[in-house]
Order: sequence, then structure tokens, then C-alpha cells
Amino acid sequence: MAVDSTAVSSRSTGRATDNLYRSRIDRLIMGSILVAMGLLWVVPIAAAVDRALVFNGWRNFSEVISGDIGGITIWRTYANSFAIALLHAAMVLVVASLAGYGFAKFDFRGKEVMYYVTLVFLAVPATSILVPLFYITRELDLRDSYLGVALPEAALTLPFGVLLMRNFAETISDTYIEAAAIDGASHFEIFRGVFLPMSRPALLSLGTLSIMWSLQDFLFPSLFFTDANKTTAAQAVLRFKEYLGATPDDIGKYNASLVLLAVPALIVVIGGLRFITRGLAAGGIKE
Amino acid sequence: MTDRLADPATTADDGPDVTAVIEQQAPSRVRPLTRKPGARGIVVFFGPLFVFYAVFYFFSVAFLARTSFQDVSLSLRNAVSVGWDNYRLLLDDPRFIDALRNNLVFAAAAIAAAMTIGFFIAVALWSGVRGRALFYAVFLLPSLMPIALVASVFRTMLESRFGAVNEFLRSVGLEALAQRWLIDPDLAYGVIVVMFVYLIGLPILYYTSNLAVINTSALESAVLDGAGPFRLMGGILFPIMKNTHKTVTLSTVLISFRAFDIVFFSTGGGPAGRTEITGTYVYNFTTSGTNVGFASAAAVIVLLISLIVSAVQLRIYRRAGAS
Repeated sequence: MAVDSTAVSSRSTGRATDNLYRSRIDRLIMGSILVAMGLLWVVPIAAAVDRALVFNGWRNFSEVISGDIGGITIWRTYANSFAIALLHAAMVLVVASLAGYGFAKFDFRGKEVMYYVTLVFLAVPATSILVPLFYITRELDLRDSYLGVALPEAALTLPFGVLLMRNFAETISDTYIEAAAIDGASHFEIFRGVFLPMSRPALLSLGTLSIMWSLQDFLFPSLFFTDANKTTAAQAVLRFKEYLGATPDDIGKYNASLVLLAVPALIVVIGGLRFITRGLAAGGIKE
Repeated sequence: MTDRLADPATTADDGPDVTAVIEQQAPSRVRPLTRKPGARGIVVFFGPLFVFYAVFYFFSVAFLARTSFQDVSLSLRNAVSVGWDNYRLLLDDPRFIDALRNNLVFAAAAIAAAMTIGFFIAVALWSGVRGRALFYAVFLLPSLMPIALVASVFRTMLESRFGAVNEFLRSVGLEALAQRWLIDPDLAYGVIVVMFVYLIGLPILYYTSNLAVINTSALESAVLDGAGPFRLMGGILFPIMKNTHKTVTLSTVLISFRAFDIVFFSTGGGPAGRTEITGTYVYNFTTSGTNVGFASAAAVIVLLISLIVSAVQLRIYRRAGAS
């Protein structure tokens, strides 16, 4: 078969086009399957928006936005979510970048074992450490504080964070560090003056991921916040449901609130998708 | 040192002349910076990490191990030692065994979906279609949202009376197909499986990022031999991506143990414990608060499993990195 002129003209999508889509029929088949699956994946999203308009239409949205539900406004849940997410991200960035630098640039006995122990906690389920977390949070008097939620979240994110930062630090050539060392800089000065500025891409990825993961967290806020004013957006999914009844007004409001509670995560994901995908890929596949 | 002298650019950049630098280094800083950090370096760079690990992992594990041998309420006071009783009770509880099994079944379904649907989507998008960014958004977004939200949407969508699915079926005259999706045990089970499949974003991401670095020469020669796209996918690309399949498999197993929200917000583990997974099991016994020792025993077992799977994953990475 001669080179298909349409395949050539669709060059804008990248090299692989020429490999898999030689014929127009192939392209049509692949395209239709993708579209069909895309539509299936959109069904829940469409259903959510559709449900959000039941009984009162757009008034459902305006009531959720302008009023409060169970003593808390949706704006307040956004603010709470972002406050915890930023606190969480800040802690993860500081702790993981320090340790990532150390694991990549130091040699000392036991380093490999230490790194292994750090990573083996990569997938600890939050539910499995709930009992001690209750105890720790109570003893540190952190109930109903942002820090009480952000700290255990950070603990769960740190193994991934260290993995990401070390992988990145490994790619930074030692010559930069040696050059700075000749000026008499200490490791900490090099870390601050050389490593951190060079790590911007990794820090952006880890920071965005940390914010996203915190916004996804339902468990910790629901366990450690009794004060309704502290409710986060993810936690409000349950709190709003408990508060709203079975009247048409309430059902419409609840469904609209489900859509609106996605807003913080949507903002972060859409704004930072590049950093999120890059960070996840770097942590998942070690090259 | 000589390097720096030879490079006028850096010398100029750094301002002070070389002799000044030498003077500054001597005598206290005569020791050149080495890869040996010294005690102070270790404390500065690893101290914060150690504090987090000490409190939230090492202490937590020790605490769990202790309470798992006790009869104690959520107040965590007045514990009574009960030996291995909690573990015995736990392993005698068919609901716990079911929860473990469900975890694996859901994980298996998610893996199967990832390696077929996820793989297909990643390859199809990689090989170029119009609106690629939009497709990525559609498949990735649900996995990046709060799961509590996604699961709640599924629940409202599947409600028997006013749920979107049944309303749709009725409106097109398929009333007979309208089901009590979350109440019938088998259907509820299927719903959870569907949700695990729906959250396919991470596998797609892994496949996509590995596709970006594969060697396409094998593909090119197959194309010259006239192989069609499905043959290319199944016969050539699929085997090439062996390591990605492993990554996807292990990460999916691990995610299934973290997938508390999926079940909690859709079926709550019901009906009658049919869709219970380890996450909801431990959560329910922890928050009900009567015997937290029992919940701790369950948590210890889940924790051990997650550590073992992580260890296997690390070994595979290490081997992949070495070769």
C-alpha cells in the first residue's frame, strides 16, 4: 500500500499516527471505539449534572451557593479544604525534598536499608492505622485543627514524596554540587541554593499531587473534625447528605451540592494536570 | 578547583576571587564537601522524615500490635489483655474472610480492565486521534476527583426509584430491566466492580508514560509487513510493555486496599456485608468503638498484606532498575 495521503496530512498528532493508522477504515474503527467508551465514561458525570437540576432546576445551585447547609456554607468547605491541602503540601515538600536530597547525595552505612524501609510504607491504607491515629490525635490535642488532619495525610504521602524527590535528585549531576562545594558551601546551603531551584519541576509535581490527594481525603476530616465549621468539601459529601432530608427541595439541593463539591478538585486537576501526570508517572515507573 | 579556574564564566559569576575562597575554606573548612554527611547532616536531612515515621508508622504499628491483644474501647483506656482471642475471632469471622476475598476480586477486575480497556485507550490515544486532550480528561478526571464524590454520584444514579439509570430504562420502555441495583446483593457486587473499572485513570497514565519511551522499531517493521492496528496492539505492543503490566497490577492491588471510599459511599459494604472490603471492615469496627482490639487485629493483618505487596513491588522495581 502506498503511503496514504490522509495519514500524512494528519501528521500533527505525532509520529505514532503513521504506525497504527495506515488505512482509513482502521482509523474509523479505533475512533468509534474510543468515542463509545468516552461516552460511557461521561454517563456518571452527565447523570450528576442532570440530577442536580431535578425539581427546581438551576435554583438548586443558587441555593447551595448562597445559603448554608447544616450551619456551613459551601464556600467555607472550600476554604477548609484548601487550607488543609496547602498545609499538607508544604509539609510534604519540605520533608520529602530534604530526605530525597539526602538519599541521592549522601553515602553512609545503612542508607539502602533506610531507603527501603521508607518506601515499604508506600501503600499503607489509612483505615489500617485509624486506631493509633485516634490516640495520637487525642494525645497531641489536635482534634478539630487543620494540622490534626494534615499531619497524618502527610505521613501517608511522604513515602511517595521521598521516592519522587530522590528519583529527581539522582538526575541532577554531582558536578553542580561539587562546584558549589568548592566555594565552601555546606550540604544545607547547596540544598537551598542549588538543589531546590533546580528541582522546580519535581516540586511542582509533588506539590500539585499533594494538594489533590488532600482534597480527595474524606476519612481523616470525618474522624477528627466534630466542629461543623471545619467541614471539608470531601467530608461535606456525607455531612450534607445527613443534614438534607427527602423533600424535593432538599434532594435537588443535595444533588447540586455533589456537583459543586467537585469544584476545588476540578480547579486543581484542570489547572495542574500536566504536573499531576508527570509526577504520577515519575513515581510509578522508575527508569 | 582547576576546572573552576579554567572556566572564566563561573569565576566571574561568583564574584570573590579564588584566593579569597581558599582563605575562607582554611582552616575550619579545609575538609572538602564529601558524600559523607556526618551526624549533623543526617539529622538535618532525615530528622523531619524520621519524626513523621516514628510517630505515624513505627509508633502506630507498635500501638496496633499491642491493642490487637487487648479488649479495649475507643477511649483506649482500661485495656484488658486477651491474648490471641481477637485474632481467633477474626479468622473465624466469615465476613472478614469475605472482605479479604472481595478486595482481591475487585482488584482482579480492576487489573483485567486496566490491561484491556486501559491499555487499549492508552495506545489508541497515543497513536493519535483528534481531541486527544479531551479524551484524556474524560478518562482521567474521575480517578483524580474525591472518590467520596464519584461513589456518591454512582449511588444516586442507581437508586431504585428516582435514579437516572432506572428512569432512563423506564423512559425507553425497558421497565423490566429497571433493578434494585444497590439492594440486590449480586447487582450491588456488580456495581462495585463497575466502579473499580471506572476508576481507570492511573493505569492509563502508566501505559501512556511508558509508551512515550518505548522503542518503536519493532512496530515500524510490523507496519511495513502490513499488520493492522489490533495485531500491533496485541501481538507487539502488549508483550513489549511487560514491566508496565507489573506496575499496573501491583499498584492496582495496593489501591484496592485503600479503596475504602468506593464501597463506603455506594453500598456501605452492604447488603448484608456482601460488598464489604477490608477498608470498610476495619473502619466499621474502629468507629463502632466497642472492641477496638478486634479492629486492631484486622488492621494488623491488612497492614501486613500491604507491606508485603509493597516489598514485592520494590523488588521488581529494583530488578528492573538493575537490568
